[in-house]
Amino acid sequence: MEDLIRLRIDSIMTPRIVPDLVEVEQELFELPQKERVTYNKEVQTMTSESETETPSEDDIRERILREREVAEAERLEKEKQLEEESARLDKEIEQEIREMTEEERNSIFSAPDFLDFVEQSTKIVQRALNDNYDYTRDYTIGTETGGDDSEGRRVKRVCAFWDEHHCKNRSITDVDWSPKYPELSCASYNKNPATINEPDGIVAVWNMHLLERPEFIFHSQSDVLSVTFSPFHSNLVFGGTYSGQILLWDTRSKHLPVLKTPLSASGHTHPVYAMQMVGTQNAHNLITSSTDGMVCSWLVDMLAQPQETLELVHAGHNKTGEVAITCLDFPDNETTTFWVGTEEGNVYQANRYDRAGAKAGLNQYDVYKGHSGPVMGLDFHPLIGPVDFSDLFLTCSVDWTVKLWRAKSLSKPSTTVHHLHPLYSFEEADDYVYDVKWHPTQPAIFGSVDGSGKFDVWNLNIDTEVPVVSTTVSSGRAINKLRWDHKEGRRAALGGSDGKLYIYDIGDMALPRESEWTDLQRSIAGIMGGNQSNGTLDGDSARIVAGR
Amino acid sequence: MSLKSIPTNHSMLNPEGQSTNSTNAHTLPPELEQTFTLLTSHRSVLGYLLLARGPPVAIIRHSGVVFEGEQGRKYAHAVERIVESVHTGLEEVAGDSGEVDDIRFMRIRTKRHELLISPDTAIHRQTLCYCIFYSVSV
Repeated sequence: MEDLIRLRIDSIMTPRIVPDLVEVEQELFELPQKERVTYNKEVQTMTSESETETPSEDDIRERILREREVAEAERLEKEKQLEEESARLDKEIEQEIREMTEEERNSIFSAPDFLDFVEQSTKIVQRALNDNYDYTRDYTIGTETGGDDSEGRRVKRVCAFWDEHHCKNRSITDVDWSPKYPELSCASYNKNPATINEPDGIVAVWNMHLLERPEFIFHSQSDVLSVTFSPFHSNLVFGGTYSGQILLWDTRSKHLPVLKTPLSASGHTHPVYAMQMVGTQNAHNLITSSTDGMVCSWLVDMLAQPQETLELVHAGHNKTGEVAITCLDFPDNETTTFWVGTEEGNVYQANRYDRAGAKAGLNQYDVYKGHSGPVMGLDFHPLIGPVDFSDLFLTCSVDWTVKLWRAKSLSKPSTTVHHLHPLYSFEEADDYVYDVKWHPTQPAIFGSVDGSGKFDVWNLNIDTEVPVVSTTVSSGRAINKLRWDHKEGRRAALGGSDGKLYIYDIGDMALPRESEWTDLQRSIAGIMGGNQSNGTLDGDSARIVAGR
Repeated sequence: MSLKSIPTNHSMLNPEGQSTNSTNAHTLPPELEQTFTLLTSHRSVLGYLLLARGPPVAIIRHSGVVFEGEQGRKYAHAVERIVESVHTGLEEVAGDSGEVDDIRFMRIRTKRHELLISPDTAIHRQTLCYCIFYSVSV
């Protein structure tokens, strides 16, 4: 394009004209401009103060910042508002009543987890509710009313365990305390004749902190007549039944027994009224006895058949050889020799195995003859303290008496029939005496319960003729069993025929003084009144019988 | 979060539209029913609230004037938050050490009352909370 223009210019510029320059003078006159008058409309206002300065840079920056802040604040404000709104909406949604569908609820209710959870939680809550101590109490304010009014010789009822559903119309047949947890006790019950759907026998484990319902309930197909906690496993409970079966329950499982002995001729076929665990942690056996004279020894984990069976037969008896055992006890520290009380009223000694000079089975020669009715309870003195009284035992019977005996020494077995007589007879009761038990820590104390509902605490160092304290537990209803708690013996569990398990506290009576043992020796000597020891007594040597 | 509440002594409507004239016993096993009545009949117990945990807190059952309607829902919320916060707190304390100490039982003593909260200690979180209101006379 440029080339084209250059070419054009070249073509036009050929003729050149040189201009002439001439000097010219001219005068310039200036005329004043004509004034033009114009009219304007003006607004009359006050002059405003603000100077419309041009803002400096800083100011501009500031203003921008301020504006930004304002915008920010506005945004935040809006956000907050939105948030609040959404929160409100959420809440509203919450408040919306959505029905829980029947299926959901049913599925929850039928889940086994739920049942377990409710059982556990309610137990815990009930225990917490029963705890009466106010741990936020302020001791600086207020006056407290006088405390206990119980002095030394009082027996106080702590509680009575009873459950409408389980214990109605049943009687307690045996009681025991847990060796591991001093607040747990158990009771076995017989059949409820009114209902047919309920199990015939139950065992209830009660907790002192949970009064309204049992901690655990175990079922059995026949009446449970004897029960014991395993001293070596805190979870196991043994029961002997009317049918002769021995049952083992575990507190970790549900109601049914975890192990049962078979209902066959190898075990018991008659009611098992007495059981005891003997031995040590590593080698222990459960000894059970039934009313047909069978004594079986079982291993805890093998209840399919007894480790050994022993039939006690009284060979020399004039009427029948059968020995109907009602109660059985081993002296402390003995595991092979035991004493049994029978329905005929005699007490016999028996051996589990052959010993030097004595055969296994009933010792028919040494007959502890004294009671005129079936022996209901037999208890050996515990081996505690400086003096050994463990050859003393107490028996009680339906002949209204409690008798104190000294067991014949085993070192000199007899070969002829020998009648041994009690050291002393306590005749204070006026009803069948159903159970008697020595106190575990105080050597001079024992308790007895009878058919009129009385609980007597005797102290041989204070009085041998009358009990120290006699309490009516339930008027008219018999108390079937008595058991002191193992640790200190402050509490006694009494099983009533009305199905209630009474717990009584004897307080400071349970504490032995230093001199109790020697005092007891003296008392016993006084009781015996100068007579010689058992082995050489003849039939009617004087017995100090406290007449009424 | 959604809440459910069961008014007692009213007839209830299911989403399906059936109405059950239920009192408290839906298909609750009788022993549990008995247990609950035993608890509520205790002289100091004002009522109970049975909750289901899980992202929406749900009231399964309730009893007692204190836990009726709006009040009950508020309590359910409050309890849920309390239990959650305690649980989170314990988790924080445990940190990375793995073994988290879990709540067994909570007893909240206020000026006028005492709340007993028993949470389920199952591992999976579809578990239940339990709350009883307990009045203490000071």
